Amino acid sequence: MNPFEILAQYWPRLMDGTLMTIKLTLLGAFIAALVSPGLALIRVHALPIAQAPLRLYISFVRGSPILAQLFLIFYGSGQFRPVLQEWGLWSFFRDPFNCALLAFALNSTAYQTEILRGGIIGVPRGEIEAARAIGMSRQKVLRRVVFPHAYRMSWPALGNEVILLMKASALASVVTVFDLMGRSRQIFSRTFDFSVYLWAALIYLCITAIFVLLWRQAERRLSRHITARDKSHGTVPPLKETRP
Amino acid sequence: MTQRDIIVQADDIHKSFGTVEVLKGISLQAKTHDVISILGSSGSGKSTFLRCLNFLETPTSGTVTVHGEEIMVKNGKPQNARHMETIRARLGMVFQQFNLWTHRTSLENVMEGPIQVKRETRAEARDKAEAYLQRVGLEDRMHMYPSQLSGGQQQRVAIARALAMEPEAILFDEPTSALDPELVGEVLKVMKDLAAEGRTMIVVTHEMGFAREVSSEVVFLNEGRIAEQGSPGEMFTDPKTDEFRRFIAKAM
Repeated sequence: MNPFEILAQYWPRLMDGTLMTIKLTLLGAFIAALVSPGLALIRVHALPIAQAPLRLYISFVRGSPILAQLFLIFYGSGQFRPVLQEWGLWSFFRDPFNCALLAFALNSTAYQTEILRGGIIGVPRGEIEAARAIGMSRQKVLRRVVFPHAYRMSWPALGNEVILLMKASALASVVTVFDLMGRSRQIFSRTFDFSVYLWAALIYLCITAIFVLLWRQAERRLSRHITARDKSHGTVPPLKETRP
Repeated sequence: MTQRDIIVQADDIHKSFGTVEVLKGISLQAKTHDVISILGSSGSGKSTFLRCLNFLETPTSGTVTVHGEEIMVKNGKPQNARHMETIRARLGMVFQQFNLWTHRTSLENVMEGPIQVKRETRAEARDKAEAYLQRVGLEDRMHMYPSQLSGGQQQRVAIARALAMEPEAILFDEPTSALDPELVGEVLKVMKDLAAEGRTMIVVTHEMGFAREVSSEVVFLNEGRIAEQGSPGEMFTDPKTDEFRRFIAKAM
């Protein structure tokens, strides 16, 4: 078969897999994004003893292959089935999609936490003091000053993390999730035509390209105050007498 | 003359960092309309003292009272964080490095406190912010980010930001020390106007001219203690201590 016939015949399945890949990636990244700000604050502010469990978790995630983490959850949960059934958690772990999602969310949480930690450390101290001096509560300082800066500085690295996660999500196909990779393998096993992997690669590339474009738009918004200076060069009227 | 309210009162403030005692018992009283200049060579503890007044540093011992309300300290921390925050909101602060929020425009910087802390409506805060920016001569810089402004302009925005909170007193922490010499004037001019309006100000400064001409009282710190204190007229013409005599000789 020529590559286009493969595409013509199997595109609904490939699309189905694509949607699954996007769903798995975005959900995983989103869950991690909900948890990581709190964890990053713990990493920055908590006493070393208090954050020991967190550091252990992060070094475990960063120090072992994501495939191993996925197997731990997928096969591990089978091992503990009676316990999980007793706790009413078995229905969750029975579904390979949930196992993969959990593995990816846990993985991305560790990375996003460390990325955000770097951003939080980089927030100018003086701006935090100014916010405290004006009477803002701790939470307000975080929301109005610390996180806006931290996210702006972390933004490119966070985008990178989401892209890596998207590609790692292909591993879900190993535990019978029919994501883009899973569908491609299924099609290959019927046709023995490797060109299906070419199409899969192209689709991955497209997803990444679109994602990068969107991410860059957001980045531009976040760094308006920095680019403003360069853009205004020459367009701002020469300094008028502005003394009071 | 009517009785003036005591706005800020500090009693026997001590502050240590580790084993180093930076402040060794400083007391100060600022009444309505007072403009108090705090002078001292670097390391004398003047900035630390100012930061103790709004609890950016927590005093090791001693009490700070703002318009009759004392900030209680327990185990080296303010006992009631919310209470401390409401008191902070009543004292404006202007920093040496301006410390504007760089991700917000001038206008947003000035509106931030009234909206977030005093819970004013956007429209209210906006009107007020525009008025105060005009007051410091920056009505044509309202929509610019701090990175687009000169140091002097940034400091004037910072003053407008403090004014927008309608504070009972404003603390200035070396407001002109980070500025190019030619920009110092525009900031001092605004500060002089504020003093003339009768605002209560406590100013840590190296500007002898300001201390001498504008302030109602001068406090000279040396090694964590008040070495000399009095009206600028007396102190500059007839210094009582050798330290202060040497200090002004060096500065002028």
